Amino acid sequence: MATNIQAAVQPSATRPRRGATAPQRVDFLSGNEAAAAAARDIGFHLMGYFPITPSTEVAENLAKMQANGDHEIVMVPGDGEHGAAGICYGAAIGGGRVLNATSSQGLLYALEQLPVQAGTRMPMVLNIATRAVSGPLDIRCDHSDVYFALNTGWIILLARDPQAVYDLNFAAVKIGEHADVRLPVLVAYDGFFTSHQKRRLECFDDAETVRREFLGKPDAPYTALDPRHPVTFGPYMNDPDLINNKQQLSLAMEAARQVIPQVLEELHALTGRLYPVMDAYRMDDADVAVVLLNSAAETAKEVADHLRDSGQKVGVLSPNVLRPFPAAAFRDALTSVRAVVIGDRADSYGADGGNLSLEVRAALQQDEHNRTLVLSRVYGLGGRDFDDTDAAQFFEQATQSAKSQQVAVPFAYHGTYAGDPDQKPPSGLPAIETAEVSRGMARVRENPDTGRLEVELEPLWATTTMPGRIAPGHGACPGCGVFPVLHQVYSVLEGDLVVLFQTGCAMVVTTGYPNTAHRITYIHNLFQNGAATLAGLVEMYHELLRRGELPDSPDITFMMVTGDGGMDIGIGPALGAAHRNHNMIILEYDNQGYMNTGAQLSYATPLGHRTSTSEVGRKRAGKVFHHKDTAQIFASCHLPYVFTASEGYPEDLMRKAAKAQWYAKHEGLVYGKVLSFCPLNWRTTDDAAQSVLQTAVDSCFFPVYEVEKGQTMISYDPDLLGRRRKVSDWLALMGKTKHLMSPDNAENLAAVEAEVDRRWRRLKAMHQHPEL
Amino acid sequence: MNRKTTLPDPSRFFEIRFESIGGLGAHAAGQILARTAVLHMNLNGAHFSSYGSEKKGSVVRSYIRLGGADKPIRTSAPIDSPDVVVVFHTALLEQPITLAGLKSGSTVICNAAAGELPEGLSRVPAGATIVRVDALKIAVEERSRPNAVLLGTLTAALPFLDADTVLTGLNEGFAHHNSEAVAANERAFARGGKEFEVVDHVGQGSEDLPIMRPQPVWGYQTAPIGGVLPLPGNTVWNDLTTSRTGWLPVFNTEECIHCGLCVLVCPDFCLVWSNEGAGTVPALECPDFSLTWSTEGPGEEAPSARLLGVDYRYCKGCLRCIETCPTEAMTREAETPGLADRLQVPLYPEITKRVGGTRGN
Ligand SMILES: Cc1ncc(C[n+]2csc(CCOP(=O)(O)OP(=O)(O)O)c2C)c(N)n1
Ligand code: SF4
Ligand code: SF4
Ligand code: SF4
Ligand SMILES: [Mg+2]
Repeated sequence: MATNIQAAVQPSATRPRRGATAPQRVDFLSGNEAAAAAARDIGFHLMGYFPITPSTEVAENLAKMQANGDHEIVMVPGDGEHGAAGICYGAAIGGGRVLNATSSQGLLYALEQLPVQAGTRMPMVLNIATRAVSGPLDIRCDHSDVYFALNTGWIILLARDPQAVYDLNFAAVKIGEHADVRLPVLVAYDGFFTSHQKRRLECFDDAETVRREFLGKPDAPYTALDPRHPVTFGPYMNDPDLINNKQQLSLAMEAARQVIPQVLEELHALTGRLYPVMDAYRMDDADVAVVLLNSAAETAKEVADHLRDSGQKVGVLSPNVLRPFPAAAFRDALTSVRAVVIGDRADSYGADGGNLSLEVRAALQQDEHNRTLVLSRVYGLGGRDFDDTDAAQFFEQATQSAKSQQVAVPFAYHGTYAGDPDQKPPSGLPAIETAEVSRGMARVRENPDTGRLEVELEPLWATTTMPGRIAPGHGACPGCGVFPVLHQVYSVLEGDLVVLFQTGCAMVVTTGYPNTAHRITYIHNLFQNGAATLAGLVEMYHELLRRGELPDSPDITFMMVTGDGGMDIGIGPALGAAHRNHNMIILEYDNQGYMNTGAQLSYATPLGHRTSTSEVGRKRAGKVFHHKDTAQIFASCHLPYVFTASEGYPEDLMRKAAKAQWYAKHEGLVYGKVLSFCPLNWRTTDDAAQSVLQTAVDSCFFPVYEVEKGQTMISYDPDLLGRRRKVSDWLALMGKTKHLMSPDNAENLAAVEAEVDRRWRRLKAMHQHPEL
Repeated sequence: MNRKTTLPDPSRFFEIRFESIGGLGAHAAGQILARTAVLHMNLNGAHFSSYGSEKKGSVVRSYIRLGGADKPIRTSAPIDSPDVVVVFHTALLEQPITLAGLKSGSTVICNAAAGELPEGLSRVPAGATIVRVDALKIAVEERSRPNAVLLGTLTAALPFLDADTVLTGLNEGFAHHNSEAVAANERAFARGGKEFEVVDHVGQGSEDLPIMRPQPVWGYQTAPIGGVLPLPGNTVWNDLTTSRTGWLPVFNTEECIHCGLCVLVCPDFCLVWSNEGAGTVPALECPDFSLTWSTEGPGEEAPSARLLGVDYRYCKGCLRCIETCPTEAMTREAETPGLADRLQVPLYPEITKRVGGTRGN
């Protein structure tokens, strides 16, 4: 099919505006802002989402607009991307327009839902700000995430710049909902390069008209919200039926091949901007070409211009559509090209080329006359820049091949570094000897009468010369509370310790490669699965000990460190570990939000608090549901020991940490939640920890207590000590909650106070009754 | 306000790089300038910032690329040979990458107090212009932020930028702030445009400064597989001095009772202790901690550990130690040049010797 291969000689910022029919205005937006602006203008019914860099800003921008009443999209913060994908799927079955945005691990965590949604033919739009997948964790751009979506049955549109992000979101809705298609659509743009770079672009002035005349009303053939027409969605379907269902899907993709150019042509008429299925830049008489996706292709165009000026016949091919794969367009465009470099920003390990490369090779193979020499290159992984010198090298390699009529290196990584044997990162500190950290800073004794543990602490100064298990030099914000929490806990834990940190601030700021602040063995796994990972390690440890296969039989304590957000997305595996009662500690530092990704709401964020996904504006004031009571969730797992503590009460926390170690060694899983100061996102001065933490406890927002062998004991009762404060005293101390002091938000404040008080009374009742 | 603007050389991009520390507002300022150029000056423009994990105190670079209205912007690459570099924090000048790619004919705007031009500027090519402004002082006086001052200076230093237009953009950028803040910004911007000084004969460089690209230490043939780091605690080589924003804690031995409370709250593990020289510690009197503190606390017992001072290589100046100290042993002081060096008590003396003033993050 040779349609739509047009020379898009016009650069993106000045795409032709031949007869645009819709009035537009100039704006200056990043890719993420463009996706949010498009969502506002499309007027989706619902967005289900979970924050992940670099796509988080889509939800953040929409939250800001929502707070000011600029759109009416229902925003549902998922408990993780899998949950968010489920929310979106459910909403799509309801027949309205649905949006999501994610990246990297988020897409992979949601991946299981993608074929479900395509196979049951529920359109929606998913924006991907592309990012490298773990591990090790890397937040920057490559295409390893979106390549995983190639086999899911979703249509994939590629947006090379913020303007394209805006425009293609409109196209995505219309394509996906087309009666012949009925498939979900993914719009992929480059993380950071496009998601975070602001460019000049044009938005519709009159979104209402575009909605009505271009998009029309969504018209789902089946919905779950029409009781007069009952439908079964998702039957149990084995052979011989499933293969037919899949052929239907395949036919829908084929239909999309026809529908996509039509929709893009309509969009062209509306906006004056053309997105051919294949963007063929200066390809008309090209001898050599490079094939690249998204922002890298734009860089290569710049270089192509220079080479053309010097008389070299070069061009750039970059599809705007990746699924359905434009094989015919590639074949046509490459017919008389002598050599082409195909650059993949992700590898299909062991396949001698990334997916794009393999698919273009397959496309060319269908043309028996094709003689194009193909060079496959993997470039730009993990955000490695691809600049004009890189593009120039690709052109040069293609030119050399064209000249020599052969391909010297069919497949290679581009832009890597072999290393210099004489160069090493700064050396580490010596390992901490067991004896150095076995100094009895806390002596734990079981009281035979009460059955409870009693702790005697050494004087504080005695701990000051213990070697720290975390070295200085980490990159946390000034005043960060996570490190006092860790220090207080570490200073009483005896002997050898192995820690697993879930994704979050503590992990990111301590392990920026090639440096690590951890002086003891440390593991990271993503925060949806840390507890399971540590449980596996704990069981391996015991089994190796039992078989006598562990040299010197070290006595190791295992602890997982997680943020409060990790106890949203990762609570499933954490509860699994709790119910299996492994010998380990789960330590949650609760800073009341997803701080690492820029302070989005977590379920631990209290009602009314301002976060970057629960903004305060003319129409809304902060988070709309109450804070999660994670300690009570774990208490109901009937664990040997559950506690809460505050960074502001070190001695209390240290006693509890010592008990935690004893229980983790002798009885099983311990869960502890520690309130941890975050000056950056609580919006306080860096040295406000003491007063803010103190008031959080004194106002009973954050009671410190323990549940030891099922019995609840409040460690510090502000009522008894005459120190009870009002919740508003606490909220008045933080910039993120200042708005709750205004009379406009009296209702919210009263609701928080009532909930805090109810939970406190309940806790006191448990404290008083051993059976509760 | 809209105004058609012509760049000095319309055939190429005019490129500006802000070198800063997270929290000083470089990202916002860059965004405001580029946005104003696009929406009010009839230019094409792009803006983005280097993005780490957005912690306060880490290095931030902000890039502004401007072109004529019809000149498409296709590259998304960082700016490596800028026409202007604005240095938000002088400590950044210790890193060569801050001025990398600077050429003769370009401009450096540096936030520094009068008479305190850092040595690092001598590398600037002789043919470049160096502009100094005390943005911090003006910002403090006007209750604004250094970024507003520096935008004012930048606008004054670049004849093609119209001050009223940039100011309009600045106000739009802060439209969600109260009128007091907007007025403060206006004053800061205006003073930035007046109270700067063009300093001659500081830049001695005979050549353009080379473009620098970060090169990894390990490569695929030398790095341990799987990203493993068998280098426990090697963040001690990092230098976090630039995280401080004007204040540091000063330790006074005489007042110290060596109780160890400050250690419990210092996020950066930069308090240096020794276990020689025992003294007597009076009972603690710190209401917020004594509440649940065990009666067997330090008491009259003789501690075998003593606080010696602060390693300012790691101290981020949060001042939590001061907030927590039950005595007057830690006090807050404004950080003047050289103060930290004079008070320095190194945790790892060998590191200070070997690395000196460079930083590793
Ligand atoms: C599957 C997946 N989704 C999202 C993210 C992005 N992410 C990384 S850390 C984080 C927030 C962590 O919050 P929390 O556990 O409270 O720790 P904090 O950042 O507050 O220290 C998020 C959303 C991710 N890494 N992986
Ligand atoms: S954002 Fe908050 S929790 Fe994260 S490093 Fe900064 S202060 Fe610590
Ligand atoms: S500086 Fe203050 S808090 Fe620290 S040990 Fe001395 S007296 Fe105690
Ligand atoms: S100012 Fe902060 S980082 Fe510096 S010593 Fe005090 S507590 Fe530690
Ligand atoms: Mg958190």
